Amino acid sequence: MENKNKYWKGLEELNNDPKFLQNKRNEFAEGIPLEDVLTDKDGEMTSNRRDFLKYFGFGISAVALAACNKAPVKNVIPYIVKPENITPGIPNWYASTNPTTGVSVLVKTREGRPVKIEGNPESPLFKGGVNAVDHASVLELYDNERLQGPKAEGNEVDWNTLDGKITKGLAAAKGIRIVSGAVNSPSTKKAIAEFTAKYPQTKHIVYEPVSYNAIIEANGQSFGKAVIPGYQFDKAKTIVSFGADFLGTWISPVEFTKQWVKNRKVGTTNNGAKTMSRHYQFESNLSLTGSNADVRVPLKPSATSVALISLYNKVASLAGAAKLSSPGDVEFAVNMIENSAKELWANRGASIVVCGSNNISDQLIVNAINSVLGNIGTTVDLDNYSNQTGGNDAAFETFVSELNSGAADAVIFFNSNPAYNYYAADKLITGIKKATVSISTNSVADETTALCKFHAPDNHFLESWGDVETRVGFIGLMQPTISPVFNTRQASESFLRWSGNFTDYYTFVKNNWTAALGGEAGWNKALHDGFTTSMKTPVAYNTSILPQDAVNAAYQTYTSNKDKVELSLYTKVGLGDGRYANNPWLQEMPDPISKVCWDNYAAIGKVTADKLNLKDGDVITIKTKTGVIEKIPVLVQPGQARDTISIALGYGRTAGGRVGANVGKNAYTAVSFNGKTYSYTSADVKVEKTGDGYELPQTQTHHTIEGRDIIREASLGEFVKDPKAGNHKHAHIITLWDEHDSKGHRWAMAVDLNSCTGCGSCVVSCNAENNVPVVGRQEILNSREMHWMRIDRYYSFKDEKGKKLTRESGLAGNMLKGSEEGLINGDTDFENVRVVFQPLMCQHCGHAPCETVCPVLATVHSSEGLNHMAYNRCVGTRYCANNCPYKVRRFNWFKYRENDQFDFYMNNDLGRMVINPDVTVRSRGVMEKCSFCIQRIQAGKLQAKLENRKVKDGDVKTACQQSCPADAIIFGDVNDKNSEIAKLFNNERSYVLLEEYNVQPSVSYMTKIRNVDEELAGGHTEHSTTAPGHTGHEEAKHDTAAHANAENAH
Amino acid sequence: MRFLRITSLFALLALGASFAKADVAEGEQLFNANCTACHALNEKVVGPALKGVNEKYDEAWLIKWIKNSQALVKSGDAKAVKAYNENNQAVMTSFENLSDAQVKSILEYIKTPPVAQAAAAPVGGTATSTGTEVAATAQDAFYNNTTFIALSIMALILFVIVFVLYRIKQTVQGIYNSKFPEQAALEAEPVVDVKTTWKYKLFTKHPVVGTIIVILGFTVVLGIYGFNYGQTEVGVQQGYAPAQPINYSHELHAGKYKINCLYCHNGADKGKQATIPSASTCMNCHMHVTASAKYDGQVSPEIAKIYDAVGWDSEKKAYDPTKQQKPIKWVRIHNLPDLAYFNHAQHVKAGKVECQSCHGAVETMKVVYQQSSLQMGWCINCHREAKVDVDNNDYYEKLHEDLKAQGKSYATVSNIGGLECGKCHY
Repeated sequence: MENKNKYWKGLEELNNDPKFLQNKRNEFAEGIPLEDVLTDKDGEMTSNRRDFLKYFGFGISAVALAACNKAPVKNVIPYIVKPENITPGIPNWYASTNPTTGVSVLVKTREGRPVKIEGNPESPLFKGGVNAVDHASVLELYDNERLQGPKAEGNEVDWNTLDGKITKGLAAAKGIRIVSGAVNSPSTKKAIAEFTAKYPQTKHIVYEPVSYNAIIEANGQSFGKAVIPGYQFDKAKTIVSFGADFLGTWISPVEFTKQWVKNRKVGTTNNGAKTMSRHYQFESNLSLTGSNADVRVPLKPSATSVALISLYNKVASLAGAAKLSSPGDVEFAVNMIENSAKELWANRGASIVVCGSNNISDQLIVNAINSVLGNIGTTVDLDNYSNQTGGNDAAFETFVSELNSGAADAVIFFNSNPAYNYYAADKLITGIKKATVSISTNSVADETTALCKFHAPDNHFLESWGDVETRVGFIGLMQPTISPVFNTRQASESFLRWSGNFTDYYTFVKNNWTAALGGEAGWNKALHDGFTTSMKTPVAYNTSILPQDAVNAAYQTYTSNKDKVELSLYTKVGLGDGRYANNPWLQEMPDPISKVCWDNYAAIGKVTADKLNLKDGDVITIKTKTGVIEKIPVLVQPGQARDTISIALGYGRTAGGRVGANVGKNAYTAVSFNGKTYSYTSADVKVEKTGDGYELPQTQTHHTIEGRDIIREASLGEFVKDPKAGNHKHAHIITLWDEHDSKGHRWAMAVDLNSCTGCGSCVVSCNAENNVPVVGRQEILNSREMHWMRIDRYYSFKDEKGKKLTRESGLAGNMLKGSEEGLINGDTDFENVRVVFQPLMCQHCGHAPCETVCPVLATVHSSEGLNHMAYNRCVGTRYCANNCPYKVRRFNWFKYRENDQFDFYMNNDLGRMVINPDVTVRSRGVMEKCSFCIQRIQAGKLQAKLENRKVKDGDVKTACQQSCPADAIIFGDVNDKNSEIAKLFNNERSYVLLEEYNVQPSVSYMTKIRNVDEELAGGHTEHSTTAPGHTGHEEAKHDTAAHANAENAH
Repeated sequence: MRFLRITSLFALLALGASFAKADVAEGEQLFNANCTACHALNEKVVGPALKGVNEKYDEAWLIKWIKNSQALVKSGDAKAVKAYNENNQAVMTSFENLSDAQVKSILEYIKTPPVAQAAAAPVGGTATSTGTEVAATAQDAFYNNTTFIALSIMALILFVIVFVLYRIKQTVQGIYNSKFPEQAALEAEPVVDVKTTWKYKLFTKHPVVGTIIVILGFTVVLGIYGFNYGQTEVGVQQGYAPAQPINYSHELHAGKYKINCLYCHNGADKGKQATIPSASTCMNCHMHVTASAKYDGQVSPEIAKIYDAVGWDSEKKAYDPTKQQKPIKWVRIHNLPDLAYFNHAQHVKAGKVECQSCHGAVETMKVVYQQSSLQMGWCINCHREAKVDVDNNDYYEKLHEDLKAQGKSYATVSNIGGLECGKCHY
């Protein structure tokens, strides 16, 4: 039976937006950019006969001259003394740790330069997962706008001169302040301690622009441990999150995704166990985590506290614990809070409540709930706590006033950029200007560094030695994979120098660890592994502290803001708090939810937008009580809680590199300080329409997949009854072609829709592996993104009666409309939205439609089931893209390298160092697409041949698969009957996209299973009762009828 | 019973003999791979000539020496110290990775080099070359001057005959015309109407069409020529033999001294690039080999270039840290375009292709040149013909079984997908 849920790529499609319809009629969003190619961008050529003759003549003679030229002389320069471990052409792998995220990584180097970051599968915390940010970090190494050496008062100096000036200045200073992000390195902490010992007037202030101060403070009050706990989502059967985007951005998303997904894999791993955790998410903006939750409840920020109080009281009454006296129940989502309370209690000790709020009383309630449930010590781990982030908001506030008063006259900014991300930046900037000594160790000339007198640029982590205590007891080690590209010095070493310690940093780190690790051998092993671990068994803690005094205030906030518009600030998976803004890979990675790249926007729900008379692309100015966000475009976002606006932080950089500068708007101006912590929400904001319009670059609606049955899903209940639930195939298969004969290998991929969280790690990994160019904002607007793989995001809605909704009119609407469908009208609730993520790459069809239409045989089938693409044969007719049912082919409209129009990393020598030497850099005018990482397949096969053995399952891993934090992608040889992929291909949940075309894709998708009580798959039971015979013949007839309907609709 | 015993004795002897033979063969292989960089059998290279070494020292001592000569020297062994001093205290590389059996087989090889084969090869070589020379001379004789002159005279005579006959025909026609004018007028060719000729139609009546056809004709001809030119000439550097910064002779090193290709090009069986050796590899031998005998006691100027590159002081026989190291800029001869992926290990190790199959007889080249065209057609041809060694690599286990099932004895590279675009272009 056909899946009864209807999916839309976005509201444009649902509403039959005129632009969308127009685009759809064109079938191919990409028009032929003749104007661009022939006019200003590529030389003057406005159809002038004489010009034509000139170019023609020049062309002929150029060709003639070129043909006469002999190839240029190429030199080959060997090493003078070849390093023992480097053989040109063979990659070396080093284990390291990304200090910013704490993730254990493997660094692939070719001929001594790092080209790719992957996950370290042996890491007990991250188990081989890395996220987009880690992948992209290698590109920052090759940023040619990094500071190239030390500077003092604007002049380039050498390190000794700089150190001399700095030590002199520091010795004379009254108050020295080190402002840094969370420091997770024991050695750096020791270096700072030495510095503090030398200059006792020093204070170290931890400032995180997206602060976790409330969690630390609340844990201090509740349990006497002022730390950010480690969380164990893998041990939780019930997960309740209040605005904590733990799969996307919150504390340690890679670690949490690995844990979370462990209980989401049904019928595949764990001996085919058919159990799943249930995940409730209460939040205002549709986050990555919310979109993956089983139950998602839209919640205004002002209602968070009352919802938490209500949940606590329900849990407490089940447990018989002391309750918070509250004026009454909250009238929204009572059922959901009730349900989650019951389930939490039923799974006490194996459940978890987390909250993303930076409000201490909220976190105290969360602590109380977890304590009542007995989760502290099981799912919440206060002993092996996390060092990944932090924040001390009050201390930073004090620092700003001290700077202005002159009490602090020397300041060192270490891995911190408050001149950009502090809400009252003006006040801070005045303060920095007053300081007699201001030092920045940041590696780019960002907003803060530009104000500092001394620049002591830090190394990139791939150039550094170091240690990272991601969680207590888990030490990740960092080792350099390249010698410093510029004349930079590790910041920790700078601290040592300034405190008069002239040990080089390697020795310093080594000395710190050798004894603890049992001597030289232990140190070498830890360095080789990339980590060393000695985590304790967590202990249970209890608290009886309840923030009774906050209850009335919470209700007051809730009732007084009921109908007022609120603002909530969040961070995006790609850009984080803004520190990655200069990274073109991350800028071009579409937001997992909105699919917008290169911009931030004000996300507003449909109802609220109508109320405020706003539509997509309107430019608004938002005024909170303390700040203003000027001229930000509107995006009408399904799932956004009513009367809320959400804006991403991290945009609107003014310095720090050409890529990130002036992209989006800075929303830090709307952050406020509530006396204890920073607050990222504002109640009662004023929205003003400027009257301007702005088009957001979205990859969302470029590639329409009409209303076809490409997403299959079922509820857990249905799945347990029938493992094929939602996946009863109906396609009537006929074929014109002979079957391919793949005797050797047949490479194939399976994608588990249930595991995929849509985080986008694979997209960036693919960029790095396959030299996918960055095209920039304008080209995304022109629908010419080059990503080889995309993650399609589909929404589905239902009305109150549980009927799926269809649009009221329009061509596509008629086509989709069935008998049991409700209609969308003005009252439709777009807040309760369900989301499915579907990664889509070339499906490597057995009977590939692209192959039959290529006039030059540039794309052909291989005996191993791959669809090859020979760039040098391609003449760019684009027939293949037109004939591809999955729209996964990408055309090179321009030469993206050495082209000033695309001034990203491929336009300079340093940036091009990141290019994978095993993959061709494509030129203008050719088609390209996912190759299943054929370079890795070939390398895997060769390795087996050299070792005189067969290819083992797992020898070949594609770039997207290797580092997927959710293990959603499995790749292998289906002809190897014992391989994981062969088993998945026979799994009941497995299906291929657009099966009715019988193109025989090599990519199989696994049904999405949701742990909800309602029916999702539906239909089939009813079908089978009416047709006990249930023969193939009837199915065929049924299908023909469906075809006829579709024909009529056309 | 006695018969059985005798047979088994013979069998054992035969087995022993075959073992010994295997020893020598293995020894030769090991010798070529490990020893030829510094040793030859009959001549002093870096280390001494090895012929007769078996008589000079006992086997147990030799095994110790080969595995770690320095340890032996340090232990104060008199023979070792003597040998060390005799050879200017040059440190011999330790071969601790070799097993005793392997060392023995090398010694076996040194004792009994396959003389017969070695001797036979040059004889055979001479025989073949003589044969070719004979044929060549015969051909030359056929085209010598006498033939040319004789043929020219015959051609001249024929031309004269043709001319005379033509004149006779003209005269007869003239007489016939003057005698029978009416008859002649009737027989004369009718005057053709100019307007019906194709020339008129094309060039006078429709000059544009004519011009286009002529241009098209030229285009097609030039196009075919250009296509052919582009295909066979552009970017094809067959025969390219650039002058190198150091006048290095493969004929001397690989030919005369039989240094294994992989000794210097040690990436060829490991990865994509065969690799040009680093200057430190040259120094393994040239620390001691200065060829000064040929240069009046001076270091050979070519070898001096290596010393210059690595910063070696030939007087003090030591690296001079004050000298700047200068990388050697070799000129690359074999240039595959970036769009083609070629992996040496696949061909050398997995495919067991001889280096010479693509690079030609490098061991005879004073100056290395590009032997093969390196065009795609050349690759493809080999992939069509080359057989995959399915027997000796477990990777091909399944393929081997399939072939056996089909009753085939081999598969070519093209049979297993070796002609597919994506195998080399990605």
